Amino acid sequence: MTDTTLPVPTRPIRAALSVVTVNRVLMAAALVILVGYLAVYIGYGLNLMAFPFDYDQGEGFELVDTILFSRGEFPYKDTNIYPFYSSNYPPLFHVIAAPFVWAFGETYWYGRLLGFLGTLIAAGAIVFAVYREGGNRAIAAASGLAFLASNTIYHIAPLFRQHMTMVMFETLAVVVLCGVNEIEDKPQRRRVMLTGLAFILAAGYTKQLAYATAFAAFAFLFIRQPRRAVVWGVGFGMVGVAIFVWINVATHGQWWQQTIAANVNEFIPDQTFGLYRLWFGLHGFLIVPAVLLVVYELYFARLSIYALWFVAAVANAALSGKWGAGDSYFATAIAATCVLSGIFAARTVKRAWTFPPNYLTRIAVPILHPFKALARPFGAAGLVIVPLLYIGYGRAVLHLPTDIAPYSLVADALGVEANALNGFYDSAGRIAGGYADIGHWTTQADIDAGWQIVERVRAVSGDVLSEEAAFNLLAEKTVITNPTQLLNLALNGMFDSSELIALIEAQHFGLVVMRAQFYPVDVLQAIDRNYERTETIPMNGFGYILLQPRAVPLRNDIETGGTG
Amino acid sequence: MMSNRFTLSKRLLGLLLLIGGAAAFMGILAIDLLDVGREGGIGPAQQIALVGAAALALVGVTLIPLGDRRA
Repeated sequence: MTDTTLPVPTRPIRAALSVVTVNRVLMAAALVILVGYLAVYIGYGLNLMAFPFDYDQGEGFELVDTILFSRGEFPYKDTNIYPFYSSNYPPLFHVIAAPFVWAFGETYWYGRLLGFLGTLIAAGAIVFAVYREGGNRAIAAASGLAFLASNTIYHIAPLFRQHMTMVMFETLAVVVLCGVNEIEDKPQRRRVMLTGLAFILAAGYTKQLAYATAFAAFAFLFIRQPRRAVVWGVGFGMVGVAIFVWINVATHGQWWQQTIAANVNEFIPDQTFGLYRLWFGLHGFLIVPAVLLVVYELYFARLSIYALWFVAAVANAALSGKWGAGDSYFATAIAATCVLSGIFAARTVKRAWTFPPNYLTRIAVPILHPFKALARPFGAAGLVIVPLLYIGYGRAVLHLPTDIAPYSLVADALGVEANALNGFYDSAGRIAGGYADIGHWTTQADIDAGWQIVERVRAVSGDVLSEEAAFNLLAEKTVITNPTQLLNLALNGMFDSSELIALIEAQHFGLVVMRAQFYPVDVLQAIDRNYERTETIPMNGFGYILLQPRAVPLRNDIETGGTG
Repeated sequence: MMSNRFTLSKRLLGLLLLIGGAAAFMGILAIDLLDVGREGGIGPAQQIALVGAAALALVGVTLIPLGDRRA
């Protein structure tokens, strides 16, 4: 029975209802697209966990670091002496993975699982943060899924690398510290502060790059309550320095040399600019609202930790132009982008923007006055624009296998053809220097080729010099050198290659396995003089060059012709 | 500033950003004054840093008129 006392719905209310319906339909479409990327992410993660060799160059050395920690050894060693091995990363990720070595032996899957799960935890933290600030479940879910859908996050997350574990700790830290100053109960405030700062410390001891998040967090604490920031900052600094000094003393100074001094690498500006352009090209639909929220907070509200985190992370991404760095340096900025854009979107849908009067509003009001009548339709347009942002983002970050069902059905429907290895499409195009050439799925042919190389290594008596650790580990041989770290050290004048070159000149190694020829130049020249290419085995997009001792070594002058 | 109730105002934050940005700008330029033997003048990394420092100072200037509002 109709209640005649109720007002008859008017045209504006019907219009508003229809806009709400459009919003819901579009938001559902956006979520379907983003859930599709979650499916690609899960498939990729499972594919990599089943792959027993290095997928991304250097993963094997992370496994070696983990093995050393599982034996109670630090991996920060003197690289001038046999086996010329050292790590250049802080310890926490490897320490977390070490118990898996005891339980499951020396394999890759658990390191990749940790990266995979850590990324999901970071996405969950983004969902929580956006929901807490905006109260919109769909937008919160879209924000977390958008993080996983990023080309950069997708392709580095399930690797045996520490980067995404660092991002996980960073994200947890800012989410925990966000409202710490507003907690009235002192013991509770202390617990929250301690938890947040512990996450920052954990991030820093997972990867050095987290210093930017530490800077942002303390800037936020200082702006809100300088005294508290100073007191806790002193305590935080003392703990951080104490751990640093302890490791440095325990490793006889190798910790400083290998993780700090050797990491000062050549800066390639074009790589930085290219990666910034690519970052904006892929994530622009979310970057614009994120930047607008930062500007809003700057002039019309209080600065949140998320805004400062975003600014620090985007600035820190300039280091992506360092030799050896790449698009992974944008991962923290992408997490911050997802949080801020989600909060912006939720506030827009709720029409909860307020502009307290200040000199900017005094300038803007006369200019905007003629458009006052458009305020309501403009607000309604937000309901349509917000889901379109996520749909646009979903189109921009398109990546999927093109020949594996059910993904191939989507690829066919979209008319997408593979533009990367093993039938994979990546909208990033892989043209920017420093953008990691990964994300494709491995095949049985790659696994077979890997075992073929392991057989070659096993067939040799004695040591094998390999640019990737997997072959030596699976053949139960000593891992000799960490080539990229030797190059880092050599470029900084910190590597004495004489002992390694003497072994190469003596043809001590029965086999040399090269992938990217990352060794320092003098080491590569020594290899070329004393070893010759006997076979090239393609695996995972790379030609693995196998070299055996020359019957007659070349003279140490013009006869060197290059291994490539 | 060291009281339990103190919080930075937009004006103070603006001043800090202005001073910090200006100091950073001059510091980056000073690298070339102190290390005169360097080749190539102001390098690409320095240029990026100079733009960042200038932007910081500019943001600081625009915050100062916001007065005592909490930053």
